[in-house]
Amino acid sequence: MDIAIEGLVKEYAGEGRGIRALDGVDLTIPAGTIFTLLGPSGCGKTTLLRCIVGLETPDAGEIRIGGEVVWSKRRGVAVPTEKRGLGMVFQTYAIWPHMSVFDNVGYPLQVRRRPRAEVRDAVARALARVRLEGFEARLATRLSGGQQQRVALARALVAEPRVILFDEPLSNLDAKLREETRKELKSFLGTLGITAVYVTHDRVEALALSDSIAVMQGGRIVEQGSPQKIYFEAGHRFVADFIGRANLVEATVRGHAGGRTQVECALGTLDCQRRDVAVGSTVTLCLRPEFIRPDLPFAGTDRNVVRGEVDSLTFVGEVFEAEIRVATERLLARVDPEARIAQGDRVSFTLAPEHCLLVAA
Amino acid sequence: MGNGRSTLAWLLIAVVGLLTICPVAMLALGSFSTGLTAFGSFTLAKYAAAYGDPALYGVVADTVGFVVGSSLLATVLALFFAYLSTRTDIPLKRLFAIVSLVPMMIPHLLFAVSWALLLNPSNGMLNLVLKDLFALDHAPFNIYSLPGMILVEGLLDMPIAYLIMAPAMASFDVSLEESSHVFGAGNLQTLARITLPVLRPAILAAFTLGVVRSLASFAVPSVIGMPGQVPVLATYIYQMIATGFATDYGKAAAVGMSVLVTSIVLIVVYRRLTAASEKFVTVSGRGYRPAQIALGRARGPLLAVVAAISLVMIVLPVLVLLYTSLVPYAMVPSRHAFAMMSLRHWREVLQDPVSLASLENSLFLGVAGATLGVVLSLFVAWVIVRVKTRAAGLLEGLSYLSFSFPGIVIGVGFMWFFVQTPLYATLTALLIGYIATYLPYGIRPLASAFIQIHTHLEESSRVCGAGTLVTLRRVVAPLLVPGIVSAWILMASMFVRELSLSVVLSRPGTEVLAVQILHFADDGLWGQLSALGMLMIAISTTLVVIAAAVGSRFRALAAQG
Repeated sequence: MDIAIEGLVKEYAGEGRGIRALDGVDLTIPAGTIFTLLGPSGCGKTTLLRCIVGLETPDAGEIRIGGEVVWSKRRGVAVPTEKRGLGMVFQTYAIWPHMSVFDNVGYPLQVRRRPRAEVRDAVARALARVRLEGFEARLATRLSGGQQQRVALARALVAEPRVILFDEPLSNLDAKLREETRKELKSFLGTLGITAVYVTHDRVEALALSDSIAVMQGGRIVEQGSPQKIYFEAGHRFVADFIGRANLVEATVRGHAGGRTQVECALGTLDCQRRDVAVGSTVTLCLRPEFIRPDLPFAGTDRNVVRGEVDSLTFVGEVFEAEIRVATERLLARVDPEARIAQGDRVSFTLAPEHCLLVAA
Repeated sequence: MGNGRSTLAWLLIAVVGLLTICPVAMLALGSFSTGLTAFGSFTLAKYAAAYGDPALYGVVADTVGFVVGSSLLATVLALFFAYLSTRTDIPLKRLFAIVSLVPMMIPHLLFAVSWALLLNPSNGMLNLVLKDLFALDHAPFNIYSLPGMILVEGLLDMPIAYLIMAPAMASFDVSLEESSHVFGAGNLQTLARITLPVLRPAILAAFTLGVVRSLASFAVPSVIGMPGQVPVLATYIYQMIATGFATDYGKAAAVGMSVLVTSIVLIVVYRRLTAASEKFVTVSGRGYRPAQIALGRARGPLLAVVAAISLVMIVLPVLVLLYTSLVPYAMVPSRHAFAMMSLRHWREVLQDPVSLASLENSLFLGVAGATLGVVLSLFVAWVIVRVKTRAAGLLEGLSYLSFSFPGIVIGVGFMWFFVQTPLYATLTALLIGYIATYLPYGIRPLASAFIQIHTHLEESSRVCGAGTLVTLRRVVAPLLVPGIVSAWILMASMFVRELSLSVVLSRPGTEVLAVQILHFADDGLWGQLSALGMLMIAISTTLVVIAAAVGSRFRALAAQG
């Protein structure tokens, strides 16, 4: 079921002045996709999710779920949360501590007064899906964090909702469990073919899970697209910086040729990804550390070769992180642990034009 | 060091144990003895007499009605107040904090008296006004009845129930309700299936504590219940030992044993429940706090209800007492009444040697008792918080035991004890009784103060080069002063108005304020009662103000170094 949002505005009364948590959000979430709202804390992503589910009342705009208007200022429609037929996994899981696992999972059906047998079967199916068979009688508070998380998921699924919403569901798990659960969730949602809206501030989570990502900042959606598009072809400096580690270098556009855009910067003259920007304008060159692969210098004059000196080398586990000084810039690079490079070495590296991303300054 | 600590712990166990176990043991022994003068001669006669008396069962029925009714009223009112103050956007939230502190300012006895003055059937002020207004032949309300007792006791126990429920509601994870809405439940369904069940331990804890307190209550049963011929266990026991010609301390002890056991069981239940309510606190969300429920149009009316209850609880009793102390006899406020006002009752009280003696005794008991009590509490709290041994656990259990003691019952126990000693009918006897019964009120604020002073704070002071004394002066004492001040205020204001223990232990020559006020009530001397009562409120309030001033002064000094 698709979700369409138009001109959504939400203001909070803050210290002395109103704070715009949502500043005119327009968004279409296609049916059957895993759609992630990504952004730093305070960007409005949770507020947007809560407006969709109906726990927050917007000040203006319209929300449609599967063609049905659930909230509209103009039409005076406000469908209450409980009538929207959605599922949600809360950040705190919101497992009711006074109920058994069965009652927690069966609740959405019980409050809709479905027959006992149907509830029992549906709960059993939902628990089997999250691999918690046989936990029915267990008291909810007697579960580990990971198990509570799966109960929350089972509860969100049990009534076969139109859409499932996830509010940072993995943030209360420890690092190792978070990675496992993320993978499970991915394959799980894939087989279900359901529309899922997922809120997170964790870029790795967003990249790994989503079919589509919307990056938010200051109550607006800055950019939207597939994980690859957001990562490799971001159009905004904020997005490029937020979605992964990036070296940002100020550059001036010198021309366009051969499907490339040429810029001049502290690293020299470089061929970059094609962008339609006026010659002479200032842009930001974004270089991901994994595409900077320094080697001992060789005598070449190929295009896009950069020379520098290794300033520092830090072992961080699977790789070395190197800081390479090029003219006035210091670039972060990821170096293979087997590369024979030491601090103080003069090195060179070639930048593939398709990985030289130009974003608005 | 470790040895010294455990010696101190055992010493304190001996002292606290003597204070708390002694009256209980004496009560038990006394219930099996033939009489105060024949202590130790074993007999079951008193139990047979007490429990064979058919009157007892009527009393028990009334007691159950009184205790359950007032606790229900207190819990429901507190639930309403706590919900409004923690979960909605109701204005004037400070009001709620003030209302919850009222019992420290207005003694229960005077609160009960002020209601009797308002709603007694013969000349209650409100009754007279209503009679005039609607031309009735009978007073519309009779406070001297079981419903009247329930109303007044319920209002009195409401603040303590509020203090238990408000924190539980404030820490309530709102996403539990939100998820219920998401999964299809409406407001009422969510309230019934999620909110109330999750709060159940806190609600039951508040109710249980209400039961313990109303079971121990003596002010309301004596001022309102006795004129209305509604005896409850507290007044039933009192009549056995106070009716002059046929006092029977053995029978009183035999009945008292049941009350005491009930109270102790209830306090154990209460502590289990509070532990359970803490267990229900789930993973809490980070950062995101949803807006409070907007009351919208209901805001005004709800605030009016809260304001009305606050008025009834704080302003009305004081006004009624002040007014009654100034007019010559019960009359409806009018131009005529104001013209007849005088300080006659005040003069009479201030010239009455017994009233003056009671004033002096209560002041002494308040100041000396609170000071000694705080010193003892300080040591006990330190051992409970800092010494993690079996002895410390035992001490904690012992010191909270007296929390459940109904004053009148424990008074009977002390009576059996003091009669065997030269302390009988001395102020010292009252002093010991007060400290023993109210020790938990001193230990609680001090224990939480010690918990706040993390050992690292002391240790880092040491590491920075400060010696033990400097550490005490610069780090521990300033952090502890607020705890000491609040413990002292609490104990002193409780001692100044102490009634239920005093009605048993106070003898001619050791009169205290509350007992003297009760005598005035028995004699129907409402004017003098009100004058003395106003003095009592003034003393309580002054103590609070002085102690608060001293506390903030000390903190300011400590801040300067």
